[in-house]
Amino acid sequence: MGSCDSTAVQESPVAYFRRQVNNCFEYAGDGKAAGAKIVGIMCEYTPREIIMAAGGIPVCLCGGSREMIEPAETVLPANLCPLIKSTFGYSLLKKNPFLEMADLVVAETTCDGKKKMYELLSRERPMYILELPQKSDDADSFDRWVHELDKFRKELETRFKTDITSEKLKEAIRVMNRERKLKRELSALMKEDDPPLTGRDLLDMKSLISGMPEDMVQYEKALVALKGREPDATSGSRVRVLLTGVPLPHGAERVIDIIENNGGLVVCQENCTGLKPLLEDVENGSTDPIISIAEKYYHLPCSVMMNNTRRIDHLKELAREYRAECVIELIWQDCITYDVESGLVKKMAEEELDIPYLRIGTDYSPSDTGRIAVRVEALFETVKGR
Amino acid sequence: MLFAGIDLGSRTIKIVLIDGNGKDIVSSGAVDQGIKQSERADELFEKVLFYTGASRADVGKIVATGYGRNAISWADTTVTEITCQARGTRQGHPDARTIVDIGGQDSKVISLDKNGAVRDFVMNDRCASGTGRFIEIVAQRLERGIDEVGFMAARAVGASIISSMCAVFAESEIVGLLAAGEPPENIIAGVEKSIAKRVASMAGRKVEEPVIFTGGVALVPGMKEALAEAFESAITVAERPRLTAALGAALLAAGRSEIYAKNIK
Repeated sequence: MGSCDSTAVQESPVAYFRRQVNNCFEYAGDGKAAGAKIVGIMCEYTPREIIMAAGGIPVCLCGGSREMIEPAETVLPANLCPLIKSTFGYSLLKKNPFLEMADLVVAETTCDGKKKMYELLSRERPMYILELPQKSDDADSFDRWVHELDKFRKELETRFKTDITSEKLKEAIRVMNRERKLKRELSALMKEDDPPLTGRDLLDMKSLISGMPEDMVQYEKALVALKGREPDATSGSRVRVLLTGVPLPHGAERVIDIIENNGGLVVCQENCTGLKPLLEDVENGSTDPIISIAEKYYHLPCSVMMNNTRRIDHLKELAREYRAECVIELIWQDCITYDVESGLVKKMAEEELDIPYLRIGTDYSPSDTGRIAVRVEALFETVKGR
Repeated sequence: MLFAGIDLGSRTIKIVLIDGNGKDIVSSGAVDQGIKQSERADELFEKVLFYTGASRADVGKIVATGYGRNAISWADTTVTEITCQARGTRQGHPDARTIVDIGGQDSKVISLDKNGAVRDFVMNDRCASGTGRFIEIVAQRLERGIDEVGFMAARAVGASIISSMCAVFAESEIVGLLAAGEPPENIIAGVEKSIAKRVASMAGRKVEEPVIFTGGVALVPGMKEALAEAFESAITVAERPRLTAALGAALLAAGRSEIYAKNIK
C-alpha cells in the first residue's frame, strides 16, 4: 500500500489522465458495488446533472476504436460515421466494459445515423431516448426540451426508485460547473504564446466519467503545475491551429497527432471532446433547476441544430481569443450535418477572420495518414508564406 | 552553383536541375517509382547530373517534394507538392490563378492569389476516379499503351457515358460497353470526360482564370478539352507539365521564396 501511495503522489496529472479508462473502470466498479447505477451516455446533449442527481454515474460510451468498425458493418451500412459504427461494434462484441455494466443507456434524437443506430441498440440494451428539438432559437422547441427533461427526471426516479430533489440537482450542478470551470481553465492555458502543453496533452486530460472527485484534484494539480512550467522551446515556431468539427473519442486521436507532428499546435478545440460542452455553465440558484439545465444543454452548438449560427459566433470568438492562424475542420466520413455546415465555417474563416481553412474528411483507418499530412503541411506553408 | 528539385510522386520520380540564376532548367529526368525509391532517385540524380558534366559538389541545395519526400536522406529539406507546384507553375505562367494538377494517383486544384501565393487547395480523398490511374486502368482493359489512348480519344465520334463513381468498378462498366459494341475511342473519351467532371466538382465553385493544367495527365491528348468543358473555362497546359512540381522544388532550393527561408530556420 505504501509504495502505491507514493507513486500516486509523484504521478503527473497528464500521466494520471493517460490511465483514465482504468481510473474510470475502477471508479465505476466500486460505485456499482456500492449500489450506484451506471448510466451510459453517447452525446454531450445528455444532461449529466439529472443522472447524477438520481445517484447515477454517467459514463461516455462513444467508440473510438477502428477494430469495432468491421464487426459493426455486418449489421450497419459501410457508409456511416465511424463513431456510430465503432460504438455499435462495441455493443455487438460486448467489448466495452462500461456498456456491459450499464443499468441504462441514455441518448437523444440528434443526427439520423445515431437515431437509427439507437433503434437497433435499444433492442439489445435498456435505453431511454430524449427527444432533442432542433430549432435552436424557437421558444416552443425549448419548452419541448424542458418537458423532455422533466419526463427524464420522472423516468429515472421510477427506474432507480429514488427522489430527484432540487437539492440533489443543485449539488450535481455545482459539481459539473466546477468540472467545466477547471477544464476551461486548462484549455485557456493554450492562449499563451508558448503554451505549456500540446493540444494532444489537453485532449488526453479528460475522463469518460463526469464528476469523479479524483479527477477534480488532478485538474487542479495540473493547473498549478502547468502554469509554472517552462514552455516547450519549439512551441513558439509552430502554427497555431483551431481544430473544429467532430469529436475525437478515445482511440481516434490520429488527426490531432498528424497536425502536431507536422509543425502545428492545436491551441483550441471547438468540438465535443474539447471546448464545445464547456462553453456554458448551468445557472445554479434558479427556482427550477431543470429549466437551467435545459438552457445550458440546448445552447450546445452542434451541427444537428438549425440554424446553428451560435457555432459560427463561438468560432469567431475562439479564433480571436486563442489567436489561431488557421482553421482545420475534421469531419468523420458521412457526417452529413458537419459536412454541409463546413462551407459556412470555411466562408467565415476566409472572409471574416482572414485565415486559411482546411477540411479533413476521414474515418478511423490510418490508410490516408500520408495524404492528410501533405494537406496539413501545405496549409502550414501557406500560413508561413503569408 | 546548381539547385535541384526532386518530386517523388506516387507513380514517377522527377528531377529538375536549375542554374544559380534560377531561370533555366539545366537538366531534368523522370523514372518510374519503385520499391526502393531512394535508390531510384539516386540513380536518376546521377544521370541528370551526368548530362550537365557537373558533380554533386556543384549542387548547392536539394529540395524534395511529393509523397516520398521524406525518403530521400540527401535532400536538404522538404516542401509539399502544393507549394512546389504553385512555385513551379508560376515560373512559366506568372499570372496563373488556378492550377489543376492531375497525377498518377491524385488530383488537386490550387487557387493562387494575385501575388501567386497559395490561397486555397483541394485534393481528392481516398478515390482514384479523378486521377491518371483511371486512364491506366482503361488503357489496360482496352489493351492499348498509355501513350496511345489519348490519340484514340481524339478520333472518337462521341463520348460514352461512364456512370460508375469508382475507377475500379468502371472496369466492369467498360466491359459491358465493349460487349454492347461501343467503339474503344468513345470509351476513352468518356473516361476523360468523367475524370474532368470529377476534378471540377471537387474544385466546387467556378475557378478563376487563367487556369493552368499540370501533372502527367496534362500530356494525354483530349484531357485539356475535357477539362475546359467541365470547368467552363479556358485551360492552358503548363510548359513541361510533368516537371512543374520538381521545378518548383528546385526554385525553392535556390532560395527564391520566403516560405523556404522560413522552413529552414
